[in-house]
Amino acid sequence: MKKVLSLVLLLSLVLCVAASAETIVVMPKLVGIPYFNASQVGAEAAGKELGIDVIYTGPTEGDAAQQVQMIEDLLIRGIDCLAIAPNDPDAVSPVLQKCKEANVLVVDWDTTAKGGDVKYSIHQIDDKAYGEFIWDKLVEAMGTDSGEYAIVTGYLTAANLNTWIKYGEDYAATKYPNLKLVTDPVPSDESAQEAYTQTLALLAAYPDLKGIIGISTPAPIGAAMAIQEKGLQDKVAVVGSSMPTDSAPYLKDGSLDFGILWDPGMLGKLTVYVAHDELNGVKIENGMEIPGVGKITLLDDGKTIIMGPPSVWTKDNVDQFKF
Amino acid sequence: MDGARGHFSRNKNQYFLLALLMLLIAGMSLMAPGKFLTVRNFKNMGFQMAEFGILAIGMSVAIMTGGINLSLVNSAMLSAIAGAFLMRGMNEAGGIPDLVIIASGIAVVMVVSILCGMINGYFVAYVGVASLLVTLGTQTVFNGVSLNITRGSGISGFPELFQRIGAGSVLNIPYTMLIYVAAILAAWYLVERTPWGVSVYMVGGNEKATRFSGINTKAVLMKVYVFSAVMAGVAGVLMVSRYNSARADYGSSYTLQAVAATVLGGTDINGGSGHILGTVTAVCILQVVSSGFNIIGINRNITDVVTGFILVAVLTINYFAARERRHKKA
Repeated sequence: MKKVLSLVLLLSLVLCVAASAETIVVMPKLVGIPYFNASQVGAEAAGKELGIDVIYTGPTEGDAAQQVQMIEDLLIRGIDCLAIAPNDPDAVSPVLQKCKEANVLVVDWDTTAKGGDVKYSIHQIDDKAYGEFIWDKLVEAMGTDSGEYAIVTGYLTAANLNTWIKYGEDYAATKYPNLKLVTDPVPSDESAQEAYTQTLALLAAYPDLKGIIGISTPAPIGAAMAIQEKGLQDKVAVVGSSMPTDSAPYLKDGSLDFGILWDPGMLGKLTVYVAHDELNGVKIENGMEIPGVGKITLLDDGKTIIMGPPSVWTKDNVDQFKF
Repeated sequence: MDGARGHFSRNKNQYFLLALLMLLIAGMSLMAPGKFLTVRNFKNMGFQMAEFGILAIGMSVAIMTGGINLSLVNSAMLSAIAGAFLMRGMNEAGGIPDLVIIASGIAVVMVVSILCGMINGYFVAYVGVASLLVTLGTQTVFNGVSLNITRGSGISGFPELFQRIGAGSVLNIPYTMLIYVAAILAAWYLVERTPWGVSVYMVGGNEKATRFSGINTKAVLMKVYVFSAVMAGVAGVLMVSRYNSARADYGSSYTLQAVAATVLGGTDINGGSGHILGTVTAVCILQVVSSGFNIIGINRNITDVVTGFILVAVLTINYFAARERRHKKA
């Protein structure tokens, strides 16, 4: 009886075409950290402005495998576009191929993805300019261009972080030859707590350390916590990509010298607008104006979109920003 | 041994699980009309289920002997990382045909897996340390070695053909499903139709008595952990193909879930009884709940709560059914 039932169930499979409102999925590296919470606000606001369905969802840890499974299940649900910030560009390449076969538009934001046919790569800033800018700010905060420094990064596989580090290191090799990197970038897995632990370890292993660069938003906060605890505000400079509201207390007491970032809410909004325009046949052009974002730059490769120049938070201006 | 009545009530568990699975499929289909009960979705679940299902089978056999294999997933990833290194190296060297690269990679994965299994088997069977302790130790060692080799990042750079294992299908049936079915058949045959399989149950029931009856329990246990490791190796190959990279921490949640699937499928945690097909049904149940909730759009955390609830409910029902069986005999 039960065997017949199961056979009947399996035989009565029906393919269904889901006709629904335009659906754009915006998937961050992970949910639950302030940077990606802010992008969620921007993305969902854009969805409301445009009258479309924006699903902002992602794994609870920076787990590439979980991202793959979520995307596969979302494809079943039926979506029009996937905007992804992958934890590991290689891990998502097979599933982006599946997206291509399902005629789902794929764009990447915040960090680059590989595979499938990524139509647009939405960057918050020009990677080379950003990397070099961070290193300039480090030297400014250290007060000297010779000395030992270390880098605390997010996940070792994150393409965007690695790109900025590479541009920064290349730039420093020629412009600041006396700046000495003490060891390979240390991962903190997008956790301020982990960055804090790793910074304490770095301070213990390299007592002459003069500067720390935190790449990925929780990292400079964690590093600043360690500096604050050890009272090394005047000895060690900390700069990095951190959110203004998180940075405010550390900027004010000097444990964090500069926070260098952009508005992630704006990035979320830009991502949704670009996806929506592409889905509706509106051509993306260099210099076009996006509501709530401003004029964007489209590079000559026809694929990379740059949102704008970086912003710097210091103890003097940080209170103006609410994210 | 229970005899005829025991065999029937054990099978009652299996029918109950099947009915539960059908009920869940029906429920999900109602809650996501036109999306769950589709070829596309079943194909999708087939892709996802295989790697976990094979791991669960590997775990079940260990649990049937009254032991456990906590190092299952970590040995899968260690062997996968070894194979990945080789494949990347051969791919970058250039001039080697893709099939040779892939075959070599898979061979390395299986060899390293078997070595891991033999390490476990040696300590459990010949030295005599409790499997919980041995596999807890090897879990940490394998994980540590993996992290050291990869420095926390992923290994990639394989021939594109390799992705076909995890992404390809024939007649709408994913290759991963075919591999999974082959693993199920092999496991079912070995465990329920060979003398070795009988010894596995006997060792799980009472190891001392089994030894005194003349069976080489050490060899039996060694084979159990090697078999478990072979399953881990196969799962490792599938995972690397699906995610196109090998990382030390893929599948970390699978270890305890595999134990859950095993007990949900009717295997006694103390060993001595259980069915491979029970584990397979349990894996289906867990997959249906996970995919179904994702499609409906329910929070990931609620999925975990529901899965836990199903596990506790089924175990409770099994317990009372077993008690009733004992009372009827008396």
